[in-house]
Amino acid sequence: MTRLHQLLSEDHRHCDDLFATAEQAASQADWPSAQAAFACFVQAMTAHFLAEESQLFPAFEGATGMTGGPTAVMRHEHAQMRELLAAAQAALAAGQGDDFFAVVDTLLIMMQQHNMKEENVLYPMCDQHLAAQIDPLISALQQSLARL
Amino acid sequence: MQALLSFDQSPPLAAPLRFFLTAPWFAVLAGVLLWSEGATVFASRWMPSALAATHLLTLGFMLMTMLGALIQIFPVVAGANMAHPLRLARVVHGATSVGSLCLALAFLYSLPWLFALAGGLLLLAIAYFLGAAGLALRGQGLANPTIRGLKLALFGLWVTLLLGLGLVGALAGGWRLPWAGLTDLHAAWGLAGWSGTLLVAMAYVVVPMFQLTPGYPARESQLLSPVLLLCLLLWSVALLFSAEQVVRLAEAGLALLGLLFAGRTLYLQAHRRRPRRDALAAYWQSGMLAAILACGMLLTAAIAPALAQQRAWPLVFAVLLVAGAFMSFINGMLYKIIPFLGWLHLQNAGRGTAPPMAKLMPEAPALRQWWLHQLALLTLLLAALWPESFARLAGFCWVLANAALGWNLWQAARRYRQYRPAPMASGQGGGVA
Repeated sequence: MTRLHQLLSEDHRHCDDLFATAEQAASQADWPSAQAAFACFVQAMTAHFLAEESQLFPAFEGATGMTGGPTAVMRHEHAQMRELLAAAQAALAAGQGDDFFAVVDTLLIMMQQHNMKEENVLYPMCDQHLAAQIDPLISALQQSLARL
Repeated sequence: MQALLSFDQSPPLAAPLRFFLTAPWFAVLAGVLLWSEGATVFASRWMPSALAATHLLTLGFMLMTMLGALIQIFPVVAGANMAHPLRLARVVHGATSVGSLCLALAFLYSLPWLFALAGGLLLLAIAYFLGAAGLALRGQGLANPTIRGLKLALFGLWVTLLLGLGLVGALAGGWRLPWAGLTDLHAAWGLAGWSGTLLVAMAYVVVPMFQLTPGYPARESQLLSPVLLLCLLLWSVALLFSAEQVVRLAEAGLALLGLLFAGRTLYLQAHRRRPRRDALAAYWQSGMLAAILACGMLLTAAIAPALAQQRAWPLVFAVLLVAGAFMSFINGMLYKIIPFLGWLHLQNAGRGTAPPMAKLMPEAPALRQWWLHQLALLTLLLAALWPESFARLAGFCWVLANAALGWNLWQAARRYRQYRPAPMASGQGGGVA
C-alpha cells in the first residue's frame, strides 16, 4: 500500500470510528452526546469528500482523461451519502431514534461498499497514474483532511 | 484499465434478485422431502433421499445464493463487471434451478438419463459462470487479498464441478470409478475448497467493515485460504493413495484452520462497535458456533477415526456445517443485501428520497425467522441422532423456517416494487452497487 492509498484508507477508518461513537451514544438514548458525536462524523466525512472531489479526482481525470468513469460514480455516491447524512442529522435533531437507526444502517452499508470500491480499485489506479505528482498531492490532501 | 471501464456498469437488480428469491424454496423442498420420507433420510449418508436433500440445500440454496451474490459483488470488490450480467443471470439461474431439481429427482428415482440431464445443466450453469468470472478477473493480480480469495474459491468450484461430473458419469453412464472416495473428495472440495474459501474471503471484508469490529490479523488473513487449499490438496492426494496417516493429518489441519477462523471471527464480533444486534450479527454468531462444533468433530475424527464410523456422525457433522454454519452466514447476508440493493436502485431511480433499508426489510421478522432457524437446526440435530422420533418434526420445522425466510425476502421485494416509480418499472434500471 502506497502513502496515498494509506492516507485515504486510514481516513476511512477514522470516519468509521466517529460513526461508531455516534451510534453508540444514540443507542443509549443520550441525544446531546449523539448529536455532538454525529456532527464530528459529518465534519470528517465532508472533509474527506471535499479532499477527493477538489484534489484527487481532478488529478486523476487530468492524468487519464477519464471524466465519466469511476470518479463520476464516486461523486454520485458522495451525493447519496450527503443526503443520508442530512437525513440522519434531522432524525437526531427531532429525537427520532428509530428513524435515525434506519438511516444510519443504510448509510453504513453505502459507506462501506463505497470505501471498498475506492480502496480496491480507485486508489490503486491513482497510485499507478499519479506517481509523478504524488508528493504535492499527498500534502494537499493531508491539509484538506486536517482543515475541518 | 479494463476494470476501470466497467466500474460504473453494475448489474440490474433483476440479475441477483432472482437467485435470492428462489433459493429459500429449494430449502423448503428439502424440508418437504424430510417431512414426507421421515427417518429413512437419516438412515445413512448414502440414502438416495439424503443425497437428494443435501443437493437441494448445497446447490439449490447455497450455490444459488453464492452465484447471485458474486454477480453483484464483482464490481464492488474488483471493479470488474461480468459481461451481460442479466443474460448471464438468466442462464445461470435457470440452469442451476432446473439442474438442482433434476439431480434431486434423479437420486430419488435412480434415473440414469435424469442424472445425465442434471449434470449437463449444472455444467452449463457453472462453466458459463466461471468463464464470465475468469474474463472479468483477467489481468487482475493476486496482490489484493479479496481478489486472491475469490480466485482460489472459483478454483475450488471448478474442482467440485469436475468431481461431481465424474460421479454423475458413474451414476448415469456406469463409469467404473471409486465412487465412495470420489464422493468424499467432491463434498470436501464443495464445502471447504469452494464455500469455505469464499466465506473466508468475504468475511475478511464483511465482518470488520459492516459490523465495525477490529480487523483480522494481516498475516492470518493472507495465509489462511492458501494453507486451507494446500491441506485440501494434500488430503485429496493422500486419499487417492490410501495414505491413512496423511489423510488424518490433513483433516486435523483443515479442522484447526476452521477453528482458528471461526474462533477469531467470534472474538472479533464480541468486540463489535455496533450497539444493536441485528439479523446479520445474530446469524453470523450462531453460524460461527455451529462451525466450531463441526470443526471440533472433524478434529476428533482425525484423532479417533473409529468414532466417525458411527451412523449418526457424518449426519450430525453435515447438519452443523450446512444448515448450522453456511446457511446461517448466507441468511444473515441476504437480510442486508436485498434491502440495500432495493434502496440503492430506488435512490438511483431518482424520484424523491428512497425509504431506508429498514422500511424494505424490518428487523423484527428477520430476528423471528432467526429463532425459527435455530429451532429447526436443533430438531435436525435430534433427527440425525434419533431419526424415528424426530425426522418428520425436523422436516416440518425446516419447512417453516425456510418458508419464513422466503416470505420475508419476498415481502422486501414487494415493498421495493411498491416504492418504485411507475414509469421506470422495468427492473432494468442501472445502479452503482
